[in-house]
Amino acid sequence: MTENSKIRLDEDDDLYDDDEDTQKDKYLTFRLAGEDYGIDIAFVTEIIGIQKITEVPDMPEFIRGVINLRGKVIPVMDVRLRFKLAPRDYDERTCIVVVDIEDNAVGLVVDEVSEVADIPESQVESPPQSGRGKSSRYLKGMGKIDEEVKILLNVDKLLYEEEMEAILEATNN
Amino acid sequence: MIEKIDAGQLEIIMEFITEARELIDEVEPDILILEDKTGDDPDQELSRETVDDLNAIFRLFHSMKGGAGFLGFNNVVESTHTAENLLDKLRTGTINLTSNHVDLLCKSCDFTKEALDYIEENYNDEGMAEASRELVRLFTEDVSPGNSATKGQKSSQPKEINEEPSVAKVDPSPEINLDMDMADLVNPEIRQKFLEESDDLLQEVESDLLKLSENQQDSESIEKLFRNFHSFKGNCGFLGFSDLEKLGHMAETLLDALKTGASKEGERIADLLLELIDVFKNSLEDIVKGNNGKIEGLELYLEVMNNLLPRNLQIEIKGSSSRIGDILVRQGAVKEEDVQDALEAQQKPLGEILVEKGKVSADKLDKALKVQEKLREPTQKSPIERRSVKRQDIRVDIDKLDNLITLIGEMVIAENMVIHNPDLQHLDVELESFNKAGQHMSKIVRELQEMAMTIRMVPISGLFRRMIRLVHDLSRKSGKKVELKLDGENTEVDKTVIEKISDPLVHLIRNSMDHGLEPNEQRKDIGKPEIGTISLTASHEEGDVLITIVDDGRGLDRKKLIAKGIEKGIVKGDGSQLSDKEAMQLIFQPGFSTAEKVTDISGRGVGMDVVRQNLESIKGRIDIHSEPGQGTTITLRIPLTLAIIDGMLIRTGHAHYILPILSIRESFQPSMEAITVTPDGQEMVKVREDLLPVVRLHGMHNIVPDYEDLSKGILIVLEGRIGSNICLFVDELMGQQQTVIKGLSEYINHTGEVSGVSGCTILGNGEVCLILDVNSIEESVAKE
Repeated sequence: MTENSKIRLDEDDDLYDDDEDTQKDKYLTFRLAGEDYGIDIAFVTEIIGIQKITEVPDMPEFIRGVINLRGKVIPVMDVRLRFKLAPRDYDERTCIVVVDIEDNAVGLVVDEVSEVADIPESQVESPPQSGRGKSSRYLKGMGKIDEEVKILLNVDKLLYEEEMEAILEATNN
Repeated sequence: MIEKIDAGQLEIIMEFITEARELIDEVEPDILILEDKTGDDPDQELSRETVDDLNAIFRLFHSMKGGAGFLGFNNVVESTHTAENLLDKLRTGTINLTSNHVDLLCKSCDFTKEALDYIEENYNDEGMAEASRELVRLFTEDVSPGNSATKGQKSSQPKEINEEPSVAKVDPSPEINLDMDMADLVNPEIRQKFLEESDDLLQEVESDLLKLSENQQDSESIEKLFRNFHSFKGNCGFLGFSDLEKLGHMAETLLDALKTGASKEGERIADLLLELIDVFKNSLEDIVKGNNGKIEGLELYLEVMNNLLPRNLQIEIKGSSSRIGDILVRQGAVKEEDVQDALEAQQKPLGEILVEKGKVSADKLDKALKVQEKLREPTQKSPIERRSVKRQDIRVDIDKLDNLITLIGEMVIAENMVIHNPDLQHLDVELESFNKAGQHMSKIVRELQEMAMTIRMVPISGLFRRMIRLVHDLSRKSGKKVELKLDGENTEVDKTVIEKISDPLVHLIRNSMDHGLEPNEQRKDIGKPEIGTISLTASHEEGDVLITIVDDGRGLDRKKLIAKGIEKGIVKGDGSQLSDKEAMQLIFQPGFSTAEKVTDISGRGVGMDVVRQNLESIKGRIDIHSEPGQGTTITLRIPLTLAIIDGMLIRTGHAHYILPILSIRESFQPSMEAITVTPDGQEMVKVREDLLPVVRLHGMHNIVPDYEDLSKGILIVLEGRIGSNICLFVDELMGQQQTVIKGLSEYINHTGEVSGVSGCTILGNGEVCLILDVNSIEESVAKE
């Protein structure tokens, strides 16, 4: 919560502009279990350091609980757990990326935030269709920057696709 | 009729609707009071009180009529007018008060309510013509001499009320014949209302005048000004402030001239009126002080205004003209003919000619000129302090208020974060001055919070008054005579709370009337007072509002309740295991009704379920106490506000929770002997005579606690709405604190249902802390 523990993307920041176009093709990239991921910068409102999370009962495992963001109570999702990756203890590099979808703020816990990258549409390939895991449903595409590949996430699906998963699990069992 | 509605018009209509609704709420109880007077000896003079009541009702109908007439809602005008006529006859004693009249007046209230609903949607009242005609017919039938008990002398033939729905037939100024008692009618409340309204009007007028002086062709402003002055004049006339009325009338005349195009002096008129605003204000100020708003130099002002009128419209005002010639004549300095001569020859200022002609001496002219100066600048000679009339209330959008309260809630949290900041604890310094400042701030924040809360508070009297009507109607329907006693009407309650308890109150009172109270004859037979009593009381108790409904009827029959419960399959076994309290709670089950037959008042078993749900939504509680044959007492206990509760901070392991203080009965450390474990592993603890199930909080939320051993931690006895208590096992009680309730965020609610938690709050250290929901914990225990 202290000012220096977070990077705010506000008017003062070059990266942020009211103009939609300047946000186009810009992705906030972060690392998760050794891979690079990216999410559309338009959804991101701020990035804060990890802080004490209050657990909420009866929630899926990946919802770690709620935090206090300047007087607002927002839920926090651990993206590792969302993708059924092995959990990892939070450290000083762990960040909470606050995204805002339709006025709902949700915090995403990621291993570490890397940079804001420019990935033009031409460099984005559609996600592999066969996909081994169910997680591929959250993917928007694969972004290429030179030799590197960033996995671009569909934030909307990431947050709201759990009903489908529950149904799938139920049928598998 | 209004052809097209502009925003301003709409606003006026909406204002009218709100006001009229308030008026009706006010007038209804008064009408019902009359009911008691109907039995009075017809030959006796009306008592002073009755006349007062009648006057009060008359006034309200009259104001309503005025408003409706102004907006062209003719059907409303007509119905209120007929009601007014009836009232007028009643109070002059032309006809005697009967309960039929009371009914008629109630009907006209109902009609007006309907009409208002209609107007709210359609902005006119054309659709109400039929109903209005019907109502007028009812009134006419009653008021016509053959039908009513006319008092000995057939003094004045009742005025013919025409059935035709035309306004023309409606006497537009019934005040005329009422003049004599108008003065009595002006009570401080009306005065206050008038002053507030006038203040508003003048402000509007001022801004419109400014517009007008900039743009003389602004016909919209002229229209509005005209209307405003017209209402203002009307009000003044009604209340008997004749000076203000005259001035207002003159202003109206000027504006009328502008409106019709007879005068092109828009700018000058606007400027003059702007200056006169101060005169109006001073006069109002005078009224505030309790005087009658006399305007000094009224004649002069009138004259100046008159002079601005086109010549053909000018009104002859005796002995006051600001024209220099007239003044000179009046002062006896010149003869009128000389002035006429001079006027004819006028090239230079009239005064100079007269001097030249030797008709007047130079100093006399000087004197006259000074008088003229004074006359022409009337406003500069009103040095009385420029204080505007003090407003008593403003209407505020409730959203704004809610935002304010949320903000203050955040401030409470922020303040906690500052004062208990962990950084401070690392400092090795004595923080004396800081702590002092901190305490000071806490105090102010607390006060601010309380203040903000009171803004949302409204007295419960409005709601209670509606119950008077309800009891009246029900008593008519069921033929039971009932006395309704109200107490504590001035108790203030959060507005949302009032909205939420309105329905429950209706249901509870219906139940009391229908099931609770016995018919009058039966009451007499069993030795109870013939007329049943229902009393409705509101009071404050430790941050809660208590509303009790007491009747002296049959009371609830435990046997009947249990029998019904068994029949419905809600109660298992023979029901003897239920405590009285639990048995009473049965009536809150949906579909539960012990009434043998469904009447049109109640008996379907929906009511109490509604009561329970509504109370739950405002975190209230309901207690029933009943003695068979003696009556029933129902107590609603509601937190004063919904945004903040008194909470108890508890801890188990590393987790903190808030428990609403309202649901905590007691807490204790149990001895080993008091604890029993049933074969299926349920722990029970003996509290005095009761055996209560133990719920381990750490077990519910998978927390590692400090203590597993029940005798080491603390047991808290909780009481939810089911009435069966449970014991919650926690590690530690950390103390009581004001808790600002926050939702758990939409995303969480979307993802799944959180059991046992009703919301969350933010603690002083910035941590989010869950608020436990005692009811749902209890339910989950009951299910197991």
